[in-house]
Amino acid sequence: MPRTQDARTQGAFATRASESPKRREPSHFGHLMAVISPGVIWIVVFLVLPSAYLMTIAFMTNGTYGLPRMPLTLEAFKELAGFGFLGWSPGNLYTLIRSIWQTVLSTSLVIVMAYPIAYYITRAPARMRPLMLLAVVVPSWTNQVIRAIGWMNILSPGSPVSDLAASMGLIPAQMGLFPSKFAVVVGLVYNFMPFMVLPLYAVFEKLDYAQIDAARDLRAGPIRTFIHAVLPQTLPGLLAGTVLVSIPAFGMYVIPELLGGGKSMMLGNLVARQFAAASNWPLGAAGALIMIIATLLGLLVLRRMGKKLGGDSQVVL
Amino acid sequence: MSSRGFHRGMRAFWYVMLFFLYAPLAVVALYSFNSINSSAVFAGVSLRWYAQLFSDETILNAFYNSLTLAITSSIIATVIGTLLGYGMYTYRNRRLGWLIWLVYLPIVMPDIVYGISQMSFFTSISNATGLFQLGLGTMVIAHVSFQVPFVALLIYSRLVGLDAMLFEACHDLYAKGWQRAWYFILPTLRPAIVSSFFLAFTLSIDDFVISFFTSGPESVTLPIFIWSAIKKGVTPEVNAIATLMIGAVFAAAVIALAFQYVRAARPRAAD
Repeated sequence: MPRTQDARTQGAFATRASESPKRREPSHFGHLMAVISPGVIWIVVFLVLPSAYLMTIAFMTNGTYGLPRMPLTLEAFKELAGFGFLGWSPGNLYTLIRSIWQTVLSTSLVIVMAYPIAYYITRAPARMRPLMLLAVVVPSWTNQVIRAIGWMNILSPGSPVSDLAASMGLIPAQMGLFPSKFAVVVGLVYNFMPFMVLPLYAVFEKLDYAQIDAARDLRAGPIRTFIHAVLPQTLPGLLAGTVLVSIPAFGMYVIPELLGGGKSMMLGNLVARQFAAASNWPLGAAGALIMIIATLLGLLVLRRMGKKLGGDSQVVL
Repeated sequence: MSSRGFHRGMRAFWYVMLFFLYAPLAVVALYSFNSINSSAVFAGVSLRWYAQLFSDETILNAFYNSLTLAITSSIIATVIGTLLGYGMYTYRNRRLGWLIWLVYLPIVMPDIVYGISQMSFFTSISNATGLFQLGLGTMVIAHVSFQVPFVALLIYSRLVGLDAMLFEACHDLYAKGWQRAWYFILPTLRPAIVSSFFLAFTLSIDDFVISFFTSGPESVTLPIFIWSAIKKGVTPEVNAIATLMIGAVFAAAVIALAFQYVRAARPRAAD
């Protein structure tokens, strides 16, 4: 409903503006700068500059106390690939691969769970939909750490769920499902569900049912109808959701730290460690650089999809 | 295939999902009332952990810090973000692609990169000049930087939903810039501004990683306190604080929903 109105008003606005270019306030540019500059300056100074600084650190030398020193090198990247004083060790690479694997796994699970949910919400009565969306989103408004505590309680040794898993022979008796890689994936899926449901909801809401009817008329079975008539239409939402889930999941810090043991460390934890105990800022920055690159690639995809989705603002909230 | 069976399956899945989403929060709340110190066995109802909470100076101080941080940053972010959202709307026909990039960057960037880049940036500046020492000040700066895009997008989406003819009407009535802002834009956006304040507030309360890295020794907030408590082993006291925080978020959700329904009801009344 707001979307049709949106298209209409945008058209009207565009023609009107081109008809009478001089009717607006004299200082167009000044006005633009006055309204956007506080926000732009804030983000540039306190986010873009620090990120650029971090990227520079990645190419600097590790000095005493982990603070970066001047000669620019690629040492940090070599170290990230596993080359240290003691020769090559695969530890860091394992962490990197594990991060990618956990991200892929949890993103796939999120898709499988969010897809039907988003569809179900669109089919509900209009008056119920905001309430249902809110029901999906509200848990993600609580603090990450608190959500992790919830899963720690549920999966800890001696809890009913752990006992059930033990009696089924999935884990040794007296053990808990936490800390483990399993707990990390559960935590990631739990954390990022809403980020997939919302963009999917946005595309399902605009779903063109005529295409589905056409596929049915052509005697396509449910699977082929889905593949040819539903899936292509929801692809922009699916991709936007995948970016919104996988990028933050790839850099996740809290969940592996709390729900996983040392063997479930992800890239985020490796990076954080370099700025705390291990004190090797360049190495940490090199890890962060990988995440920044992934972020920018994700943004690229998101921008493309945003255009296709139209009201892209709705997608992120 | 029967569509009724399909629909029933979907509904069952929806309830399973709701259970999945709320079970962890419910468990935290449940164990906060546990009379013994265990996160696996529930022995009986008691309020002793809450009593302990309110007599603990450190926790009260952390609560006070969290509140100061959330309120200060949300006020700043609401003002700046509203202006930004308004600018994005007014000049949306211009080529402002870079602006969209800039607005999305904080939303997509992983928390850890965010926190660490700001931490190393502020640390280096304070080592050199003594300004920007890590503490509540740097935390407010960091929080504002991730709240602004959300506020801007929310305001933008509300403005897009308006009839552009209204802006034209203002112009035709010879409203000056400030009159248009004061008599039309601000009143129209009031629900959106209020809900974006609450959104910014919950974002601030929800954040842990960025706060953790930009905080100093004196600026322990509730999530940071909880974090260090868990690192020492979960105490039921932590469940009690967590429950109160969950309660606060639910209250915010109800307020947000109320505003949404008020907004939805308004155009319908006008029709």
